[in-house]
Amino acid sequence: MSSIQRNILMLTTIVMVFMSTIWITLTYYNYKTHNQYNDILQRYLIMNEMTNATQQVITDLNNYLLDPAEVKLAQLNDSMAHIEETKDEVSTLSNAENQFTLTNYMHMIDSFTETTDRLLLFYGEKDNEAYTKEFSEATRISTYISEMTLTLLDQELKTYDRFYRGIIAQSEEVLKLGLWILLLITLLLLVATYWFSLSITKPVLQLTKAANELSKGRFDLPIEIKTKGEIAFLAKTFDRMRININGFISEMKHKAQLERELQQSKILLQESQFRGLQSQINPHFLFNTLNTLSKKAYLEGSEETSNLLVSVAGILRYNLKQLDRSVSLQEEVLVLQQYMDIQKARFTDRLQLHIDVDPACLNVPIPALTLQPIIENAVIHAVEPNIEGGVIYFRIKEEGGFVLVEIEDNGNGMPEEKIQQILEERPVQTEGHSTGIGFPNVVKRLRLFYGCEDVIEIISEKGSGTKVVLKINKQGVECHDETPVGG
Amino acid sequence: MRKKAALILLISVLITLCFLTVDSAKKILRSDSQKISSIKGEEQRRLVLITQDLDTPFWDGVAGGAAQQAEEELVSLEVWGSYNNNEQEFLKKIDIAIQSKVDGLILQGLDTEEFKEMTKVKASFYGIPVITIANDVPMTESLRKTYVGSDQFKAGKMLASSLIQDMGQAGSVVLLYDSHSEFYQEERLRGIQDEFSQYPDIKLVLTETAHTREPVIAATQGVLNTYPDAKAFIALNGKMAGPMIQEISKRFQIKPMFLYTFDDGPELQPLLEEEKLDGIVKQDPEMMGKIGVQRLLEWLDGETVPLNINGYYTDIHIVKAGNM
Repeated sequence: MSSIQRNILMLTTIVMVFMSTIWITLTYYNYKTHNQYNDILQRYLIMNEMTNATQQVITDLNNYLLDPAEVKLAQLNDSMAHIEETKDEVSTLSNAENQFTLTNYMHMIDSFTETTDRLLLFYGEKDNEAYTKEFSEATRISTYISEMTLTLLDQELKTYDRFYRGIIAQSEEVLKLGLWILLLITLLLLVATYWFSLSITKPVLQLTKAANELSKGRFDLPIEIKTKGEIAFLAKTFDRMRININGFISEMKHKAQLERELQQSKILLQESQFRGLQSQINPHFLFNTLNTLSKKAYLEGSEETSNLLVSVAGILRYNLKQLDRSVSLQEEVLVLQQYMDIQKARFTDRLQLHIDVDPACLNVPIPALTLQPIIENAVIHAVEPNIEGGVIYFRIKEEGGFVLVEIEDNGNGMPEEKIQQILEERPVQTEGHSTGIGFPNVVKRLRLFYGCEDVIEIISEKGSGTKVVLKINKQGVECHDETPVGG
Repeated sequence: MRKKAALILLISVLITLCFLTVDSAKKILRSDSQKISSIKGEEQRRLVLITQDLDTPFWDGVAGGAAQQAEEELVSLEVWGSYNNNEQEFLKKIDIAIQSKVDGLILQGLDTEEFKEMTKVKASFYGIPVITIANDVPMTESLRKTYVGSDQFKAGKMLASSLIQDMGQAGSVVLLYDSHSEFYQEERLRGIQDEFSQYPDIKLVLTETAHTREPVIAATQGVLNTYPDAKAFIALNGKMAGPMIQEISKRFQIKPMFLYTFDDGPELQPLLEEEKLDGIVKQDPEMMGKIGVQRLLEWLDGETVPLNINGYYTDIHIVKAGNM
C-alpha cells in the first residue's frame, strides 16, 4: 500500500476511533442518565399510583354500596388486589430518610384494607350504621393516604435534592464537555490535516523546483527529497533520469568527437586519392606503354632497363588501386622492393639496402602504401643529399607478440620539431621528390587503422641517422598501451 | 517570527482546550458517584409525639428530650402536631398515627370528648399504648398508660405560696383560666385554691376566658373594671400572660402588681427579664420527653407493666424575676 494512502487511512481511522469512542461514551452516559431519570420517575409514579388505587377502591366501594351487583364486587376486588400489588412496589422505595414515613404509609394501607374488609362484613350483615361509619373511616384514611403520599413525595424531593441538582449540573457540564471536545477535535483535525497536506505538497514543491532546474538545462544538481513515499520514489526516478541524460550527453559529445575524427580521415583519404588521380594520366595507357617499353628494352637486349620498367609499372599499378584498403605486409614488402630497385638504378652504389625479413610475420594486415612513403623519406634524407651515399636497413621481426617493422638509415637525422610535427600529424613541407603521400598522412592512417597512438615511433639523433619503428599487434588491431615501447 | 508566534498561540489554545475538556470530564465523573440509595433499614419501633403547640420553647424542649432518649434507645421517633392549639389538626394527626399503627403514642393531653374517644376507643382498638405528657387527662377517661409531667396540683400550690410570700396574706387575686376546661388547669386551680384556703383574707377572683388574644384582653378589661383593687394576677395558662400583662400595663404601673403564671406560654422569658412578670412555675420539658419515651419503651418491652397510674412527675420550681 502506498504511503499517502496509508496516511490518509490512518488519519481517517484515528478520527473515526476518536469520534466513536466519544459517541459511545456519551451514549452510555445518556443511557445511564435516562435510567436514573426512570428510577426517579418510577418512584414518583409508584407513590402516585397508591393514591389512585385507594381512590379507585373508594369509588368502587361506593358504586357497590349503591348497587350491590356481582360485577361491582368483582371490580372492587380487582382494585383491592391492585392496592396489594402497589403496596409491594411501595415497600421497595424505603431509604434511611423516609423509612419512618414509609412504614406508617404501609400500615396505613393495611388499615385501609382492613377497614374496607370490615365495611363489607358489616354490609353483608346489613348493619347499616356500622358500615356507614366504616365507609367514612375508609374515606378518611384514603385522604390520609393521599396526604401522606404528598409528604413522601416532598421528602423524596428533599432527600434527593442534592442528587437532582447534581443531575442538572451534570447535564449542563455534559453540554460544556461536548462543546470543548468539539472545539478540541476541530482544532486537532485542522492541525493534523495541515501537517498531512504539507507532507504531500512539500516534496511536490521540491520536485517542481528540481524540474525547473532541469528544464533550464542544469543537469548537474542532484535531486534530494528526504520524505518517504510516492513522491520520494518519483524524485529518485527523476534523479536517475537526470543522471542518464547526463550520461547520454557526454556520450553524444564523445561520439561527435569520433565523428569529427572520421571525417578528417576521410578528407585525408580523399586528398591522397586526389594526388593519385593527378598522376593518373590515363593510367592504363601509361601502364600499357610501360609494359611495351619493357618488352622493347628486353628485345633490344637491355635486360636491366626492362626490369626497371616492370618495377615502375608494378608500383604504378599498386598506386592505382584504392588507397583505403588493407593489404598484407607481404604485398607492402613487395612494392617496397620494386621501389628500391628503381632507387637503386638511380643511386647505383650510393644506396646500400639491407633487408632482413622474418617470413612468419608477413601475414599481418597493414594499410596500403604505408611503408613506401617512409622508406622514400629515408632515401630522400639519407641517400640523396650524401655524395658517398647511405645505408638503409629494413627489418621485419617478431617481438613479444608484436611485429616490428624497422626502417633505419644513417643520414643526418631528423630534427626534433619535425618528428613532433609528423607525430602530431601536421602537414610537413615536402622536400625533394616524393611519390606524393606525406609522412604525416601515413602516421594518421596507421593510427586510424590500428586504433592506437603508439603504433609508430621515430628515433633520431643528429648525425647518426633516423629509425622509424612500426609496432603492429599480431593478434589484431587492438592497442596495447601497457607494453613498453622498444627503442 | 510570525510563524513562531502562531505556533505558540496554537499550542496554548490546544492546552487550554485540553485542560477544559479534562476538567469537565472530571466533574461529570465525580458527580456520577452518588446514586439513589434504596437501603432497607432495620425495622425500628416507631413512636410519635403529638402536641398542639409545635415550635414553642416548652414543646421544643419536650421534643428535644424525647428525641435524645429515642436515639439512645434506638427507636425512631417523630414529632407531629398542630400550631397554636389547632385541635382539629391535632386530632387528625392522632388519627393518622393510629391508622399508621405506630408502636406507641406520646400525646399532649387534651381534655375533650374527641380526644378521649380517640385514645380510649381507636388507640385501644389498634392496641396502641398512649402516654400523656405535660398535660394530663384522667386515666379513666382516656385509658392512657401513664402520665409524664409536672404535678400540676403541686405546681398550683407552689405558685400560690410564692404569691402569698410576696404579696402578704391579704388582698384580691385575679385568676384567669381557660373556658375550655382542661384537666391540668383544673389541677393547678385545685392546688392554688388549696393553698389559699388557709388564708381567709385572700380573695380569689376566678375569671373565665378563651386562651386566644382578644378574649383574654376583654376578660382582663372586665375584671379590672370590676376589681380595680386587685393586687395580684395569675394566668393558669402561660399563653394568657402576654395579652393580660399588656392590658394591665395600659391602666396601672406594672411594678407593684404581682403577676404569676406557668411556663407553657411562648413569650414569657422576655417579660420575666423585664420584671413585668414576678414569677413563673418552671417545669422540666426535656426530662418529660426523656421519661415519656423511656416509660413507653418499658411498657412495650414488658419491663414495667402496668405503669404507674398516677404518673411520673418531673421537677418543678418557681423562677422569680429578681433571681434572674
